[in-house]
Amino acid sequence: MKAQNKLVLTFSLFLSIVRLTAQEQVTIGGYVRDESNGEALIGATVYVNEISNGTITNVYGYYAITLPKGEYSISYRYVGYEAKSHTVELQSNSQFDVELSMMSEQLEAVVIASKAEDANVSTTEMSTVSLDIQSIKSMPAFAGEVDVIKSIQMLPGVTSVGEGAPGFNVRGGTVGQNLVLLDEAPVYQSSHMFGFFSVFNPDAVKDVKLYKGGIPAKYGGRLSSVLDIRMKEGNNKRYEVNGGIGTVFSRLSVEGPLKKDKASFILAARRSYADVFAKALTDMLEDGGLYFYDLTAKVNLNINEKNRVFASGYWGRDVFDFGETTGFDWGNRTATLRWNNLISQNLFSNYSLYYSLYDYGFSFGDSRDSFDWKSSIETFNFKPEYAWSINPTNELTFGGEAILYGFKPAVAEVINGGVTTEIDLGEKRALESSVYASNSQDFGSKLSVEYGMRWSQFMRLGGFRYHYGDTVAGIEKPLIAIQKVVDGKASDYTNNLEPRFSAKYQLSTNSSVKASYNRTIQYLHQISNINVSTPTDIWYPSNNNVLPQKGQQVALGYFKNIDGNAWEASLEGYYKWTSNQVDYIDGADLFVNEYLDAQLLSGIGRSYGLEFYLRKNTGRLTGWVSYTLGKSEIKVDGINYGSDLVNRTGKWYATSFDQRHNLKVAAFYDLSDKYSLSTNFSFMSGTPATFPTDRMTVNGYVIPYIKGGSRNNFRAPDYHRLDLSVTIKQLGKPNKKKSINDQLVVSVYNVYARENPFSIYFSQGTERQGATNVETTAKQMSMLGTLIPAISYNFKF
Amino acid sequence: MKKFIHLTLLVCLMACESTIYPELDAPAEIIVVDAWLKHDQPDQFIYITRSQGYFDQTEPEMVSGAVVTIKDLTSSKQYIFLESEKGYVFSSESVFGEIGHDYLLTVQVAGELFESRTHLGEVPPVDSVVFSYNPEDYNILSEYFSAEFYAQDLVGAGDTYWIKAWKNGVLLNKPSEINIAYDAGFGAGQEVDGVVFHKTIRKDYINPLVEREDRANYYLPPYDIGDSVYVEIHSIDPAAYDYLSAVKTQTDRPGGFSELFAVPLANVSTNIYTTNPNSNTAVAGFFNVSAVAGGGKRLTAEEANQLSNQ
Repeated sequence: MKAQNKLVLTFSLFLSIVRLTAQEQVTIGGYVRDESNGEALIGATVYVNEISNGTITNVYGYYAITLPKGEYSISYRYVGYEAKSHTVELQSNSQFDVELSMMSEQLEAVVIASKAEDANVSTTEMSTVSLDIQSIKSMPAFAGEVDVIKSIQMLPGVTSVGEGAPGFNVRGGTVGQNLVLLDEAPVYQSSHMFGFFSVFNPDAVKDVKLYKGGIPAKYGGRLSSVLDIRMKEGNNKRYEVNGGIGTVFSRLSVEGPLKKDKASFILAARRSYADVFAKALTDMLEDGGLYFYDLTAKVNLNINEKNRVFASGYWGRDVFDFGETTGFDWGNRTATLRWNNLISQNLFSNYSLYYSLYDYGFSFGDSRDSFDWKSSIETFNFKPEYAWSINPTNELTFGGEAILYGFKPAVAEVINGGVTTEIDLGEKRALESSVYASNSQDFGSKLSVEYGMRWSQFMRLGGFRYHYGDTVAGIEKPLIAIQKVVDGKASDYTNNLEPRFSAKYQLSTNSSVKASYNRTIQYLHQISNINVSTPTDIWYPSNNNVLPQKGQQVALGYFKNIDGNAWEASLEGYYKWTSNQVDYIDGADLFVNEYLDAQLLSGIGRSYGLEFYLRKNTGRLTGWVSYTLGKSEIKVDGINYGSDLVNRTGKWYATSFDQRHNLKVAAFYDLSDKYSLSTNFSFMSGTPATFPTDRMTVNGYVIPYIKGGSRNNFRAPDYHRLDLSVTIKQLGKPNKKKSINDQLVVSVYNVYARENPFSIYFSQGTERQGATNVETTAKQMSMLGTLIPAISYNFKF
Repeated sequence: MKKFIHLTLLVCLMACESTIYPELDAPAEIIVVDAWLKHDQPDQFIYITRSQGYFDQTEPEMVSGAVVTIKDLTSSKQYIFLESEKGYVFSSESVFGEIGHDYLLTVQVAGELFESRTHLGEVPPVDSVVFSYNPEDYNILSEYFSAEFYAQDLVGAGDTYWIKAWKNGVLLNKPSEINIAYDAGFGAGQEVDGVVFHKTIRKDYINPLVEREDRANYYLPPYDIGDSVYVEIHSIDPAAYDYLSAVKTQTDRPGGFSELFAVPLANVSTNIYTTNPNSNTAVAGFFNVSAVAGGGKRLTAEEANQLSNQ
């Protein structure tokens, strides 16, 4: 109840702010766009000289500032673009759209940071990192394929368990604790080819922003992070074709105006070369193949000055075929419909309606004997959002979200000798809803605070409730009863308040300290007891046995820009603690299991660390160094209990993605107008692994045994890798009539061919064993133990 | 270019492996009870050993001085096992125990009393064992013969079985060849009851695949003319199904790309417990009594001829 009181208090504070604004004030608002293609510029600075303050544009490129009547000089800035200043006589609410043009070719190439030039220091935002698509495209990539997910792993606080491991870990959280949004629709599996590539087509992506902490109140539903990926709107001035031929994919995208300056579209597609991978993985495959593709499309229409609509969609699929009846496939589909409505100059609203479907299938056998399994998660969502620029010192954002989930954990058809058995674990439906409000307030010129609250609720609709008895921790719980809930009837209702807070204190024009706190709740759980996340992971709703995961995080940081804004530096520390983290009993069977809850355990987690980031934005040499010192642990009763066999109280152990040191260096160097070089270096401490202590022989099998059921009691060797790439621009002579921009990228991944460990495993060997002296060995496996050269050709006209 | 791509990817994705020699923590050397008894056999052995360091390749030594008994909880009959060189042994006239009965194993050793319970379940007969002809495929580069058995799961949910196979009298005992069935299918949460076993169970594990020496990723034909196959279905306790499933997960580690899907190392389950609720003594192993049904066949030249002509 105490928390509810806080909510009331917060709202009354908002109301008092509103009353303060009764004096004569007017709002100037408008869009900031790129002159060359009409794309909205996200995060551009709008600065009012007279009040020494300003704002930044939102994700749709809109800004609004409320000021007393008068004459103002307003400047618009965006890194890599020529700044513009205008003097405006403000007597009534007015709209003022601005188009900025890119700096000359030479300068453009050396500018890698997007965003407002000093946003790093001046906004309340902390623990966030943005990467514009230009930086992402400049990095050397595995097999030469530009990859959004791999790129963000070069940033502080972001790790991965290794090559081929899908997803990413943020500040010691699991892969399933990241909310990945593509134009606001959740993407449940962000990997192609198990994890070697990500599903986002770089030609259609405009902006990538990762929130690691201080998560704004408008986001919710996952504990660790939000990765907000925004798609391009499409050039609304002229037609543009982008494409590329790589070692793995071919890409092609077309964009252009449907009606000049009013409506535009973009259509982007990628497909892997059939069988390349399958053949590489195994030369046994002759009938089948492994291929993947994705299609991204978006249209937008400016109805008038006040209304704009967007429709976007994504369709991607991976197919792993071993012949006619045996195979494996998975894919995401998303669709988003959005309407930007300017209710008034100072009140911006957006309504989003989206749909997301992730499904996978697995089958083997023939017509008389087969096994066919399908699983899916489907999401319908409605999300209204409002941003109200109340006065020069207050900006209120508020809104809500309603998500209807449909989970089909397993629909299987088993045919045994012609006899068919249908197994359907039933559709589980659930409703997650939330309302939020957050105010960004300046107290004088130095202190800015953003404080907000999110109230989230979750309930299951219909389905079955399973009741299990107690047992020794870590052993499968016995089933007591199954209760059927009337279809559509709510059960297991739960609600939580999620306070969000961040503050900035400006120490000088180029330095500040920031602090943040957030509480996040996660009602969906990604279920997987294998080392890495895979396409077959099940998404599972909270219920009477599996409680929502809860997390809290505090962070403190120091931010400084040096030499104008040429250098950006930051140091952040964080501490995060979580509860109801899902874990599994030893030997858990998660594959098509109606009684899954009996195999799940719940624990608490903690992670903490220091992140250091230094970035050079200008000059021939640009790039960054990021270093994270971190620790991530979990404690679960029934696991890692040491000698306490009676109660099996768990002791803290390192998570399988815990990395003490994580150093990343990305550097870009412009040799000339034609040639540029880039390099990445990664160093990560070895991740923990479980090693046995004993072996025992039962029934002729040599079985490993771990004293005290220890988990992650050893460390794999450190991971380090260097990548290089050379870009050669303008291969063909530019034609005067039609300018074709093309480039050739030659890259080498893992230059010094280090055999980085992916896993260490123990086995008795695959040879048929005799009765005695069975050999046991330990093996270290590297997914990519050699250097990988790649060539790709990209063009644009 | 295409060749180059293939070559590159082939090299890089052929995940490379090397044997390592990590220094492990000191072994726990816990008591291990290996008590897998068969209803149809006159001599029953129970092996009591201690676990040893993981890289210790020597044969585990028997723990002597244990008092080992089994009680038929349904008929109250006692079976006393006597220590011998080969293990703790009980010799009966014909068969051991009765189908449908519950059994309690007690082992008194190292100052502790351990107990375990199991159920001796019914087993369905092996209806037939057959050979079939196959044209060459992506595993085997010549025409070949494969074996398959037919049997039907007993009606009623929760019957569990372990299927063992012998080729020419040699038990197929690789971890990858562990063949278990939950009713006619693959697990408790997915009921497939009272029908013929799934083909994966009937066929996949009884055809041993031995890699060719001259070509990686290709295999020798599982059965040639003159070869024999023998299949046994063992009824097992449902807890033994979970145990064997875990044994398979923990011991069948082919490495390579499959490591992407590998479950982290963990202890397998056990149904041996200490009777002292305050004891911190760890124990491992398993107790199970199986009823057994079997059937076999030899591939004659005549039959092979007939099959390939069909």
